[in-house]
Amino acid sequence: MYILQARDIHKKFDSLKVLKGVSLQVEKGEVIAIIGPSGSGKSTFLRCLNHLETIDRGEIKIEGEFMVRNSPDGYALYSTDKEIDQIRHKMGMVFQNFNLFPHKSVLKNLTMAPILVKQADKVEAENKAWQLLEKVGLSDKANNYPFELSGGQQQRVAIARALSMEPDIMCFDEPTSALDPELTGEVLQVMKDLALEHMTMIVVTHEIGFAREVANRVIFMDEGLIVEEGTAEQVIVNPYHERTRAFLSKVLMAR
Amino acid sequence: MDYILMLLPSMLKGLSVTLKLFFLTLMVALPVGILMGMARISKFKPLKWFMEFYVWLFRGTPLLLQLLFMYFGLMTIGIRLEREIAAYLAFVLNYSAYLAEIFRAGIQSIDRGQYEAADVLGLNRFQTMKNIVLPQVFKLVLPPMGNEVINLVKDTALIYVLAISELSRVARTHVMRDDTFVPFIIAAIFYLFMTGTVQQFFKWLESRFDYYR
Ligand SMILES: Nc1ncnc2c1ncn2[C@@H]1O[C@H](COP(=O)(O)OP(=O)(O)OP(=O)(O)O)[C@@H](O)[C@H]1O
Ligand SMILES: [Mg+2]
Repeated sequence: MYILQARDIHKKFDSLKVLKGVSLQVEKGEVIAIIGPSGSGKSTFLRCLNHLETIDRGEIKIEGEFMVRNSPDGYALYSTDKEIDQIRHKMGMVFQNFNLFPHKSVLKNLTMAPILVKQADKVEAENKAWQLLEKVGLSDKANNYPFELSGGQQQRVAIARALSMEPDIMCFDEPTSALDPELTGEVLQVMKDLALEHMTMIVVTHEIGFAREVANRVIFMDEGLIVEEGTAEQVIVNPYHERTRAFLSKVLMAR
Repeated sequence: MDYILMLLPSMLKGLSVTLKLFFLTLMVALPVGILMGMARISKFKPLKWFMEFYVWLFRGTPLLLQLLFMYFGLMTIGIRLEREIAAYLAFVLNYSAYLAEIFRAGIQSIDRGQYEAADVLGLNRFQTMKNIVLPQVFKLVLPPMGNEVINLVKDTALIYVLAISELSRVARTHVMRDDTFVPFIIAAIFYLFMTGTVQQFFKWLESRFDYYR
């Protein structure tokens, strides 16, 4: 059974069609890398999966439950807010700009959601937070504030924060794009560790090397459509489509 | 010196009237201002429009006129408020409008990413406001709010038009009766002390929020 199914997603902003029928099926434990030129709709797609944007048409099903489906006349029909909340708990999201809570310590960034949303016990939530910080190598920063950390450390905290809600699927929107090149490694390492633990991951990235090394499946998007998908070997090493090749040569040239 | 000592009791009484207006206005206008600030950017359009109109009205007309209206204006249609009540009402309505504007600006300057992060973590809108947005807004609004509170100290003098014996009116009464400007000096010292205290207080508050950027 698929852990996530998105079918024929359509999305427009005013008159601008950003997603023109994107479908994606994800199996448990898969690591999927989404690549593609700027403006192709990668972030928008990820945001639709997380309900940060609403879609116009299509279906999203997570662990067998519909978040949204098509009504008989072909428009997206969302489940009730309560059902959506249930379903969304299974998704974690990591943003390009971290979006840590600046007024809370690192530890509080990690315990806040479990305590508020899952009514977790404070001590339990803190124990869990310490474990997660250990995992991302930042237990010595628990009592620091986000502004005191480097970008790479902030992003690792953001990953730990997303994990604090124990999601089944982790989404990343260009998690290393806001970082100085020398700091991307530590974040990618944390993501690799997650992949080794068989976390299901959907990663929008410009890191072709990471996609190649870690992803089970690479998806190339352009102009609101999936142009090509397959193993890293197929899509990155031997791309079939002209547009994929053009994109890759441009990205690899820029290195 | 004796003269000053003789003045003090009535001046202090005037001061207490001033302070009462000051604290009452703050205590009511602050929470109301926060709520209005949120209502001002509500997704519920009629509420938003009403708040826009409200803020426009109360910021766009003199506080003095509002004071006069609450007492003399309402009297003409048969609503006789006590002078103090009319004064409190005008001040609360006026300062709520100013504070609402400050809070609106504060709330709107919080990055969208904060809402989105809270959203994907499952926080509801109330939790997001209470735990993520407002705590950060307080830090941001402290400087403009400090200015507004200092203005409030000085604006309290306006209620003399309703013949309420606040600090400056008491001082004027003495000046005219005793033919000396000393009471004005004393009043000025009181005002300076109040505004100075407000300033120090806000400085302290700002330093309390210094722990993050
Ligand atoms: N909230 C919005 N309102 C209007 N237009 C938007 C909005 N969000 C995105 N767009 C537009 O949708 C298109 C796709 O944007 P999107 O961010 O999904 O692209 P992307 O593939 O993630 O690009 P990048 O690699 O630059 O992040 C762009 O043309 C963008 O300007
Ligand atoms: Mg993007």
